Amino acid sequence: MTRKRLLQENLTSYAFLTPWLIGFFALTLYPMFYSLYLSFTQFNIRQPPQWVGLRNYIVMFTGSEQFPRDERFFNSLLVTFKFVFTSVPLKLLFALAVAMLMNKKLKLIGMYRALYYIPTLLGGSVAIAVLWRRIFAGDGLLNLILERLFHLTDLPAWISNPKYSLSTLILLAVWQFGSPMIIFLAGLQQIPKEYYEASSVDGAGKVRQFIWITLPSLSPIIFFNLVMQMISAFQSFTQAFIVSNGSGGPLDSTMFYSLYLYIKGFGFSEMGYAAAMAWVLLIIIAAITAIFFKSSGSLISYGSGE
Amino acid sequence: MKRILLTMAILMVTVTMVFAAGVPETQKSAAGPTVIRWAYWGSGERVTISQQAIDLYQSRNPGVVINPEVSGGAGDHFVKVDTQLAGGNGPDIIQMGGNIYDYAKVLLPLDAYAGSELNTAVIDPSAIASGTIEGKLLGVSTGVTMPALVFNKSLIERSGAPQPKLSMTYAEFRDYLVLLKSKLPKGVYPMQDIGVMSTNSTPFGYWARFNGTPLYTAATASTGVSAEAAQKYLELFQDYRANGLIPPAEIASGFAESNADSSALIAGKAAIAFLYTNQLGGYQAATTDELRLMEFPGAAATKALWQAPSQFYTVNKDSKNAKETIKFINFLVNDPDAAKILGSNRGASASSSARASGASSPADQRVLDYMQVAGPHSSLETDHVPNDTEFNSTLFLIYQRVAFGQVTPVQGGKQINELLLRMIAK
Amino acid sequence: MQKKAKDRIYSVGINLFIIALGLGMLYPILWLVAASFKQSNTIFSDPGLFPKAFTLENYHKGWAGIGIVGFGTFFRNSFTICLLSAAANAMFCSLTAYAFARLKFIGKRVWFALMMVTLMLPTHVTTIPRYIIFRSFGWVNTFLPIIVPKFFATDAFFIFLLVQFIRGLPKDIDDSALIDGCGRFGIYAKIIMPLTLPAIITTVLFTFLWTWDDFFNQLLYLTSPNNYTVPMGLRLFLDSSGMSSWGPMFAMSVVSLIPAFVLFFSLQKYFVRGIATTGIKG
Repeated sequence: MTRKRLLQENLTSYAFLTPWLIGFFALTLYPMFYSLYLSFTQFNIRQPPQWVGLRNYIVMFTGSEQFPRDERFFNSLLVTFKFVFTSVPLKLLFALAVAMLMNKKLKLIGMYRALYYIPTLLGGSVAIAVLWRRIFAGDGLLNLILERLFHLTDLPAWISNPKYSLSTLILLAVWQFGSPMIIFLAGLQQIPKEYYEASSVDGAGKVRQFIWITLPSLSPIIFFNLVMQMISAFQSFTQAFIVSNGSGGPLDSTMFYSLYLYIKGFGFSEMGYAAAMAWVLLIIIAAITAIFFKSSGSLISYGSGE
Repeated sequence: MKRILLTMAILMVTVTMVFAAGVPETQKSAAGPTVIRWAYWGSGERVTISQQAIDLYQSRNPGVVINPEVSGGAGDHFVKVDTQLAGGNGPDIIQMGGNIYDYAKVLLPLDAYAGSELNTAVIDPSAIASGTIEGKLLGVSTGVTMPALVFNKSLIERSGAPQPKLSMTYAEFRDYLVLLKSKLPKGVYPMQDIGVMSTNSTPFGYWARFNGTPLYTAATASTGVSAEAAQKYLELFQDYRANGLIPPAEIASGFAESNADSSALIAGKAAIAFLYTNQLGGYQAATTDELRLMEFPGAAATKALWQAPSQFYTVNKDSKNAKETIKFINFLVNDPDAAKILGSNRGASASSSARASGASSPADQRVLDYMQVAGPHSSLETDHVPNDTEFNSTLFLIYQRVAFGQVTPVQGGKQINELLLRMIAK
Repeated sequence: MQKKAKDRIYSVGINLFIIALGLGMLYPILWLVAASFKQSNTIFSDPGLFPKAFTLENYHKGWAGIGIVGFGTFFRNSFTICLLSAAANAMFCSLTAYAFARLKFIGKRVWFALMMVTLMLPTHVTTIPRYIIFRSFGWVNTFLPIIVPKFFATDAFFIFLLVQFIRGLPKDIDDSALIDGCGRFGIYAKIIMPLTLPAIITTVLFTFLWTWDDFFNQLLYLTSPNNYTVPMGLRLFLDSSGMSSWGPMFAMSVVSLIPAFVLFFSLQKYFVRGIATTGIKG
């Protein structure tokens, strides 16, 4: 490549990138730096921020004489980790399974797809919270079914019992698998029919086709869904907020990290601490994502291109 | 290269078009009438009646335009207001609740306007006092509310138990709960667990006053509640719980008790619950059963109840139209026509000129009846514990730990006392 | 003969299974629709699926909104915001994704990493500084703070999505087009875009839905009731300190699901398989 070509390549590329660059510098970078600055301050929103150095971080991790450690912080981290590592794999499993079911030219397939997308459509509406409580309350639908059909007794009140409340939220997240499902569907659509036809001729059964054609072709999409679902699960807020009525559930059992951040920032008016929490989360997510990217190299096939 | 330039050109044009597309409404009225921004929380009925009040005022005062900025709940309202204040763009009138103390530094003192734009002479002195912080009048009370116990008259009738007396002692109260328990069907409890609720620890505050040891005294920056005292409170409710007078922790925590939608009473699970009198209207509208009010036990003897300002109208320190804003507030609070429209939606009016217009609904009437009885059993409100959102949230956590059996009342009492000291020291 | 029978049983079985599982998904919607036909003060005391006292009043009351402004206005506002956002995202996220996926340039890895990082910071802490920025532009009480960021590809989610899809396409297509004299932009517009249509449609659908539900930003920036959107209208039925109009709220929630359905269905036909193959042969 000549120098002139190289320059032109770069210019072209940056021309494509211009909108994103403008957005990044004007709308994203400043807020990020501002929040980093806030993390070293005490800011109750109604008065200017006051610099306190590392205090917020100390309170989160070790505590000191004057400022005892915040035990609710570690609890929220634990709750969130449990949530992420249980709900994400389950959600993706369902999403892929159902996407494969939906990848057909059946007559009413559009309607079926819509059906499975409904839970996601209801999203974080208050209606969902009401519904979930109806189903998982001590005298809710689930217990009704368990008692009548299976004659079980002494059933817990799932949604208001600290041992089980998190599970109801995990279930809610998995039930709303619509988004990754649609993305898997889009990915499945892009796999050329010829691959399947050719392998059928060669005598390959459905399972072999799945392992040797579907999975590899879908791998960039699986990677995408894995990373994105993980990132968004760590930041999960709305469902925990509405189901627990903003409290973090019985005994902080549904106190997701983002919920605690919100309560600290806007509820207790400790915006500086909330900013510190935000940056800690960013570092955790970035580290895990980096590990994913690094280890994905050998597993993902990007077609005949790269 | 040409293609790239073409793209950029399209980009520029699109962006310019978008800019042109959204002309902010506020800019249009730049040189025209005075615009006042009124931020409040509420829904449905409150929005309708507030708009009626606005229309009435605007018809009497051409040249003034009032823009309501409504948020569904108090939570949303404060997050929005906080963000706007931080961005230097706060509204003129900010609705406040008990957290007016936290906002003291950003509110305009109204003393200079008392007597002229704001007629303070017709407002109850206690209401004025509640809005006065560190000697400055920062908020005008929208009305008065009182803590009360609410009971489901219809449910109790159906169970065959007698109706409760309006005023009882703690001993009588416990006996009544036991009686109720024997008559109520399985799964329905005499009273909801109101010891501490997710957003509200008023019963705890009441009990502290009942014992003569207030939660917090601003003058000495101290608390009258010791670890032993807190322990006794936890034991009181543990006794109720052990005897089935209140639901077990698992069931109680399914109800946040912040409003009718999260109320065990409305769900038919409890016969007695806690609320503030200005919530009665909302609760009654959520059920076909008849709801009535009764006092906290022991109020008659100790005068431990109190009248709290339901909400406040406050003015943003940086408001550009302070005078006009205060005139409008005066209208909302003192004008009899406005009072007829607004009713006791934001509290039973504390202004004698407004009260002249009478009660506007049966629920309102019940509130007024209750206040007739409970009013004389009240004394001055206790100072609010500093950092009270955090106090409530952590107190609730400690209370639940005891309720679920993770921690004993002895430990719980200690933790509560430590919490109080920590919140005061912050 | 035997194979045909087996196939039929198989496909009937699949159909039944899909329907059964789907009905499980349906229960909440059925409950919601049923609740919208019940009277407000019986919604919680009458938990069954069939209203004992059927009423249409929730829809009447609900549509009227908050008196001063009705749901007609709320829907109009929501549509405007969501359609513009969806179009902008489709256009500008794909432009950016193409650069990251196909072009070579200095700093590419760094920019990509930074783009990913923008996804990882919880949004609550950037609320205040963003408000300060938009206020300084004078955009408060307009739709601009919600729409304009989409024109600058700030939704890294879709950039990453499109990158993954584009990377799945064979590079020979690009090369043969280049040889044919097509410029980079031409490749982007004529070849890559059509081939990643399912992903672009996904972007449009998701942007629309997520912008529709983005309650908090709408609450923050749209201060006059005339600019309010559907989620804001729905929240206004619930009052944390008293009266809640559950009936009208459920009714309007049901109505607000309709545009999402319509969009979903009309975009279905773009989820068509086989587009990828035509590219290579041509």
